Amino acid sequence: MIGGRRPLQGRKLGDKRLRVERPHAPYFRYTGKGQLTAKEAASIPTTPGARLIARIRAVLLGRPLHQDAELGERLSKRKALAIFSSDAISSSAYATEEIILAFTLAGAGALAVGLALEVAIAIAVLLAVVAFSYRQVCVAYPTGGGSYSVSKANFGKVASLVAASALLIDYNLTAAVSTSSAVEQLVSAIPGLDPLRVGIGVTALGLITLANLRGVREAGNIFAVPTYLFLFSALMMIAIGAYRILVLNEGHQPPPPEIVASTTVTAQAVGVVLLLRAFASGAVALTGTEAIATGVPAFKPPESRNAATTLLVMAGILAVLFVGITFLATNFAVYPIEHPKQTVIAQVARIVYGDNIAFFAFQTFTALLLFLAANTSFAAFPRLAAVLGEDGFFPRQFSFRGDRLAFSTGIVLLGLIAASLVVVAGGHTHALIPLYAVGVFIDFTISQAGMIRHWLRTRSPGWKRRLVINAVGCVATAIVAIVVTSVKFVDGAWFVVVLIPILVSMMLFIRREYDDQERELDVREDIIIEGPHREQRVVIPVNGINRAVVQAVNFGRTMSRDVRAVYVTEDSEEGEGLRQRWERQVPGVPLVIVESPYRAVISPVLAYLDVLDQAWPPDKEAPITIVVLPEYVARHWWERLLYNQTAKRLKAAILGREHTVIADVPYRRDR
Amino acid sequence: MPDIETSLFRRAVVALNGGPSDARIVRLVAAQAVKTKAELIAVHVVEIDWTLPLDADIAGRSEDVQRVLDSAETIAEAHKLTMEPVLLQARDVAAAIVDEATERDADLLVVGLPYRKRFGGEFAIGRTVPYILQNAPCAVWVVREPMSEETT
Repeated sequence: MIGGRRPLQGRKLGDKRLRVERPHAPYFRYTGKGQLTAKEAASIPTTPGARLIARIRAVLLGRPLHQDAELGERLSKRKALAIFSSDAISSSAYATEEIILAFTLAGAGALAVGLALEVAIAIAVLLAVVAFSYRQVCVAYPTGGGSYSVSKANFGKVASLVAASALLIDYNLTAAVSTSSAVEQLVSAIPGLDPLRVGIGVTALGLITLANLRGVREAGNIFAVPTYLFLFSALMMIAIGAYRILVLNEGHQPPPPEIVASTTVTAQAVGVVLLLRAFASGAVALTGTEAIATGVPAFKPPESRNAATTLLVMAGILAVLFVGITFLATNFAVYPIEHPKQTVIAQVARIVYGDNIAFFAFQTFTALLLFLAANTSFAAFPRLAAVLGEDGFFPRQFSFRGDRLAFSTGIVLLGLIAASLVVVAGGHTHALIPLYAVGVFIDFTISQAGMIRHWLRTRSPGWKRRLVINAVGCVATAIVAIVVTSVKFVDGAWFVVVLIPILVSMMLFIRREYDDQERELDVREDIIIEGPHREQRVVIPVNGINRAVVQAVNFGRTMSRDVRAVYVTEDSEEGEGLRQRWERQVPGVPLVIVESPYRAVISPVLAYLDVLDQAWPPDKEAPITIVVLPEYVARHWWERLLYNQTAKRLKAAILGREHTVIADVPYRRDR
Repeated sequence: MPDIETSLFRRAVVALNGGPSDARIVRLVAAQAVKTKAELIAVHVVEIDWTLPLDADIAGRSEDVQRVLDSAETIAEAHKLTMEPVLLQARDVAAAIVDEATERDADLLVVGLPYRKRFGGEFAIGRTVPYILQNAPCAVWVVREPMSEETT
């Protein structure tokens, strides 16, 4: 019977009505035939401990959100530029520094003044090639063309997993590198913070993780603001600096004496390797370029065209910023200073703006943009992990949304890995850079190769021109991938080269496990499931006669006629005493007393189950043995230590035994 | 003419008949109720004929009946309003609605009216709405369904 009834008298005699209680109403709602939708109350934990945890979670992460609360907001080009390009644009904050460092560390610091700009221009050309190639991806994959989906569609499993692995590594490094760089910008402005670098970085990542677990809307206006503040102040810095160099002739400063003194390589002796090393270091400027191609569906219609346009604008801005900052840095002869940390961009800003509020504001905007870039990884990594989870290459819990509709597992994992990277690198951006660009260029190459295959396959209008663009992109990025990997191999690129196959193998292994499980559990569609055909028997391990045991015996009797109790004892007299009482009080259920002179409890029960199996007639199908365990329910958490320990051990020992089912029969105290 | 704002209600009983007009009237009332944060009570009455006892286990068991109130609650929630669902069994639907509105001290009763024609083409208003109009102590809004092509 559903609900109680309460009769009510109407105004007129005979007008009676009955109010029908609806017990489901607080927890569920009928939404279709045989379909209930749970309300928030149904998700509230019932035990006091779980309720306390839920309350703490609600304070930290916010109240659980309804499924419908997910926003499908479409982005305008202006907003999308800010949101998707924070990662790419922010790399202009450290790419110049990496080029100059490459010269300095090779003993050619003084030559950076003359050569860094050329290297930056070469990278800008590469950026143009990559941008034009990815423009094609926007057109061909309006549903979002991350390198994983492009390679999955065009090459299949292994290539797509290589791309996915490279992306996963890339996202972790983006979070770690951007955070480290953001902290370095803060340290450049306030040198007193230098000893706290790692702490600030880890705290910042913790806060970003927490914010994302709360369900940050990356489409929010708040995320567009830092990008535009940085853009405005950086472009102004370049304009003022260029004016001072070109018009006021303030540039062309010689390198500092200590750099000159440490320079051992002459201009004539600069080899290709050094130039390639500088090029590889500066190539980090390209990281994040593919973000727009991945997020095409978030654009307002026409999605592909808007995304393609935004991508070119982004590449243009990035090129201007990168080349502009390098131009200023080389002309003002700026070199990174390690103690206390002074980044190149900070020194350039200090020279251009002076040591005043404008400089501090610029540093703040730069740090904000870099934190925002780290945040983009927190959107992308969990989403990719979720896609991989859905495809069976990652544990399935990565594709479950948490209370706040965020992919919580992925967010937490990224937070932990990125924080570990920051700790291991001691908060130094430069220490992480060798690992960074390798994955990015592997991704670019796979994605562009996938596009070549795509055009050859579809041969859609204009395919030949598009194929040439992607082929150029593919060759260029492949060469850079080889260059970056080889020149930075010893510095740390080897780690990525080793890690990618490990990740790919791990994902293939997970997929195989899931496939095996699916095969094992598969039920053929043509089979009609009839009633059970195996016989059932019940075995109840008992510790005497008590209410919990009686309840378990009664339950066992509902499932089979073949019910027996097993009592393991080391004292035969005690056993005999129980038998007499048992036969008197529980007639019809045989009690088997197992004497255990070695005082073991679990093993004799298991051995008894084996004996039962062996005694079963071989011509009959083996029966299902239901082991019914009487369990006393503790009222308090600490009471759990006092009760049911043997039952727990028994349960663990029986779990997985063939044709054996465990049934817990809890006995609850009335008060 | 009185100001429409002053004629708004503080507690409305919305009578649901399980038909297509339910969603329309709940939306209409909810849109008005949002302005004054008025209280909403959805009432669905299952008529029990004289062959069965009044306390027969009918309404509580029927998913369709529960769905009538649950759907109304969903619409109200979409307007960020709470709607109290009331499920009744009665011999006479109209009397039960009026009695519930009276007991709840509602100042508005909203009822849907399907557009039906009798044999011969005359509009059929049924028994429920006239009874409510005649006996309800509060204001009554009757929302008639639009004419469909079949009924015109």
